[in-house]
Amino acid sequence: MNGSELFPSVLFRVGPLQITGTVITTWAIVAAIGSAAWLLSRRLRLQPGALQTLAEGVVIAVEDAIRAVAPDHVKLLLPFIASLWIFLVVANLCGLIPGVHSPTRDLSATAALAILVFLSVHWFGIRSQGLKRYLRHYLTPSPILLPFHLISEITRTVALAVRLFGNIMSLEMAALLILLVAGFLAPIPILMLHIVEALVQAYIFGMLALIYVAGGLQSQQLRQPPQGERHE
Amino acid sequence: MELSWSTFLLEIVNFLVLVWILKRFFYKPLQSVITRRRQDIEQRLAEAEKMREEAERLQREYEGRMNDWERERQRARADLQEEMKAERAQLEQALQEALQQQRQKAEVIEQRRQREQRHQLQQRALEQGSHFAARLLEQAAGPELETNLQQLLLASLAELPEDRLAELRRQLPAAGEPVEVSSAFPLSADRREQVRNGLQQILQNTVHCHFSEDSDLIAGLRLVIGPWVLGANVRDELRGFARIARGTDRE
Repeated sequence: MNGSELFPSVLFRVGPLQITGTVITTWAIVAAIGSAAWLLSRRLRLQPGALQTLAEGVVIAVEDAIRAVAPDHVKLLLPFIASLWIFLVVANLCGLIPGVHSPTRDLSATAALAILVFLSVHWFGIRSQGLKRYLRHYLTPSPILLPFHLISEITRTVALAVRLFGNIMSLEMAALLILLVAGFLAPIPILMLHIVEALVQAYIFGMLALIYVAGGLQSQQLRQPPQGERHE
Repeated sequence: MELSWSTFLLEIVNFLVLVWILKRFFYKPLQSVITRRRQDIEQRLAEAEKMREEAERLQREYEGRMNDWERERQRARADLQEEMKAERAQLEQALQEALQQQRQKAEVIEQRRQREQRHQLQQRALEQGSHFAARLLEQAAGPELETNLQQLLLASLAELPEDRLAELRRQLPAAGEPVEVSSAFPLSADRREQVRNGLQQILQNTVHCHFSEDSDLIAGLRLVIGPWVLGANVRDELRGFARIARGTDRE
């Protein structure tokens, strides 16, 4: 066990940017998902095949999840939330491939996703309600609660990043340790646990992101009548 | 555990690129297909609902028609039964009338047959009676009877009504012929004279008589004065009885 296995190392540099294994893996994931999506989109039929049925099932499941939390903003939130879930599932499961590390075991990657969630909350909130109405919810029910709102925003974003990073990194580390100690067959249950944990962490991250974004969208909902999916 | 700003920024960019790719090549096409399929399903459901409503409407219409037909059939059946009943009653009445006519006709025929039979029996009885009487009188006839009949003839002529006597008298000269006097037995000269005198008194004119014998008369005389035939003999009387009997029976 050395540092390169626990923490991603810089493979090369492009100007000021350090290209690590996490970035390379992420590019590969993006390329794979993008290629699969492009190939699938060329073969869409009204009478779906197995792959199209699976893809439609994924989209409909995400739509249902979003509809349960923010029924008026399904089409608005679908690209971001569904992309989070798909990317996290694939990224978390990458650790099962020998020689490949999950990008989500890198705090930089999880922090980037958490920052995106943080920004998305405000982006969608300001977009749906306007800047003043959105910022006003920080002063409700009392301006005294403003510091607590701000602390909550920061801590939940940090928690989002650290939770995913900690779980996936510890999962890989535990698998590595057991592999080193127990040998050949013992890691199989750990691999099964890896699959479950990867799916659960992806679900938790995506669901929390959905709840945060929906909270930002609906922060002033009690003060205004339903407006439907006006941004869709 | 350290934070690499390069990785941080590149991960943000990578994820945004992934979001764009998936939105462009995954979500929109899939949502479009799903939307089209839902529209297609909704359209088919709407068509199915429309067909179902149409089928229900047709079913109601056909049920209404069936009910109408059933009512019409029952009404026609009732009408037909009424017509058959009336026709049957009419036929029965006609049959009764025909039977009554036949019965009456048969009764008339039977009555006629009985009357004819009775008439034939009477006729036969009369004929037999006549034959019997003729044979009896033939055996019982004689000059005495003939004399009585002669007196009876002359008395009957004398008792004729005046208008008939006048008619008889007018016929006498017009005929210009002698009075034919037939008798069953030969008349003696006295009796012939008695007949001639009696006729002259009754007819108040001179009378020439031609006497002849006709045994067929059995007994008695027959006078022929022009178209008049006056008889006072058994044969004519018997025939007269039989004729009177036939005439009475025919009536």
